[in-house]
Amino acid sequence: MSEPIAAGEARRLGQEERGDTLGARNTRFDPGDTVLVRVRRSEPAARSEFRVPYRKWMRVLDALNWIAENEAPDLGYRWFCGSKMCGTCAVRMNGREVLACWEAVEAEMTIEPLRNLPVVRDLVVDRGPFEDKVFSLEPWLERPALYPGFPEPLSHKDMKYASKALDCIGCMCCYSACPVIALGDLTDFAGPAPLVQLGQTALDPRNDPAKVARSLKRTGIFHCVSCYRCEEVCPAAIPIVTQVIEPLKAKTAALVPEMAKHSLALRAVVAARGRVDPTALVLRVRGLAVLRDWLRALRLLLRGKIDPLKTLFPRRTSAAAAAQRLLEGGRRR
Amino acid sequence: MRFAYYPGCSARSTCAELNEATHRVAAALGLELTQLDSGTCTGARELRAIDPLGFYTLNVRILALAERENLPLMTICNTCTLNVLDAHAAFVADPDLAAQVNARLADEELRYSGRTRISHFLWVLYEDIGEARLRALVRRPLTGLSVAAFYGCHITRPPQRYGFVDSRNNVALERLAEILGCRPIDYSGRTECCGFHTAAHDERVAIKLSGQHIASAKNNGAAAMVTPCPLCHTVLDSFQREIEQDMGQKLDMPVLHLPQLVGLALGLSPEQLRIDRHMIPFDLGTLAGA
Repeated sequence: MSEPIAAGEARRLGQEERGDTLGARNTRFDPGDTVLVRVRRSEPAARSEFRVPYRKWMRVLDALNWIAENEAPDLGYRWFCGSKMCGTCAVRMNGREVLACWEAVEAEMTIEPLRNLPVVRDLVVDRGPFEDKVFSLEPWLERPALYPGFPEPLSHKDMKYASKALDCIGCMCCYSACPVIALGDLTDFAGPAPLVQLGQTALDPRNDPAKVARSLKRTGIFHCVSCYRCEEVCPAAIPIVTQVIEPLKAKTAALVPEMAKHSLALRAVVAARGRVDPTALVLRVRGLAVLRDWLRALRLLLRGKIDPLKTLFPRRTSAAAAAQRLLEGGRRR
Repeated sequence: MRFAYYPGCSARSTCAELNEATHRVAAALGLELTQLDSGTCTGARELRAIDPLGFYTLNVRILALAERENLPLMTICNTCTLNVLDAHAAFVADPDLAAQVNARLADEELRYSGRTRISHFLWVLYEDIGEARLRALVRRPLTGLSVAAFYGCHITRPPQRYGFVDSRNNVALERLAEILGCRPIDYSGRTECCGFHTAAHDERVAIKLSGQHIASAKNNGAAAMVTPCPLCHTVLDSFQREIEQDMGQKLDMPVLHLPQLVGLALGLSPEQLRIDRHMIPFDLGTLAGA
């Protein structure tokens, strides 16, 4: 390629040549081809490499079934519906979470169990920790008022976000892909899958706000780094970050504002200055405790990374005037 | 070739070197930039979560400022890019929202009609300069420089915005590094998260995540990293001493902003590109073995 490429295409570089599209993934084999499958087994001595004859439209699950039927009857894996409904067959294929029943095979595949959950055997993980977490979030409706009778005054707009969350099949792909969950107990972040389960009822306007607040307090939701790894692997195509976690964050900011200190501080800084002054933001969020880190502040100062004068005496810029008008005005309206 | 240029907050504060480097490199590439000085913050991740209408208003205002100039918009930050792309998409899809936002903008006689083309500097290189011309502009091929491309998240995910089934299939940065004469290396962190967006209230996640990525880049032979996002740069470079402390090992991994890498290959000096403002020093002579 030597000429400039068309507007809007650069952001997709790699998709065509690396066969990233679903179409490409399903047409890369010929009859008679062999699929090389490596499975991470629990027993180190167990056979882990298999050559599976390719069949048209072969899925990861078909390959696993062939292995279990022909060469490794002791292979541990789990599936039930085979049609993207039950959410039990999720595995990692070449480092990416997929539903075995809905993913085309690749010529060479390394199949591993999901991350961030204990392994029972081979590809089977223990869903217990996830289920405990979901249960602790009390993902059910509690009505603050009496049932108003049928039909309930509830519109599609009221249920916009909850209905997205209701598409969840509980496969745990997102839970495995989440980099914050991978850090273990470092934070109290509940993780994407439990938050989606919570969103099904916490984003339902009929729920009791006091009960929702109680649930949200246990989510550690502001530890979500917004990396979209969960959305990338969700087989139900739920916009987990934008249509579940962000609406839940908005609810948290309204019902449990002390949890949303960072978000509220950013809003205040932008409303006052038009732009983020990182020092002003961090001071607002962490208070004078940041001064304990004076050595680091000095290093940043020496490199010109921070400017205390600018932080202490912000200039009246046109950006500040605009943000003040649009954000403060928006709050009044 | 003219662009309305939106630098974002980071390139006007902690990563001011990125703004300087972008202006220098744009001039060398023949890009004329009209900086949108009255552009506000795009709301990072926080405003979009807790105040969606405020978020849309600030972003559409930036798009409207570019539209008023009748210019495409060039960004240099992943998160800003995704924010304006998301706001544009919502504006086009929802006439009610569009009317509400335009009503707010009417105070300063601004109005958006949905025409602004949005392009990150990385995409401008491919779509407006072109590989052939860029190759011809290279004055100092960065031969011998092993570079680890760190995409960050918001330039390659979510899938609804960029269309990747697997964001690891992105090749734009590596291909660019090759055009500039570098040797791009493969490592596990390429399209992973730096953890920036929770760092203002708790740095531990950013320190742990970015530590893994820098170590992986180093173990796979990178002499430097390059990123198209100043937020990723902040964690990878400005937090690197804290990362080293956490890992108990020296990393000393220089991290370049994308325009700086381009600028070096175009013959600009590290001083002109303000690489001296980084926490981790970068010595082109030693690293490229030149």
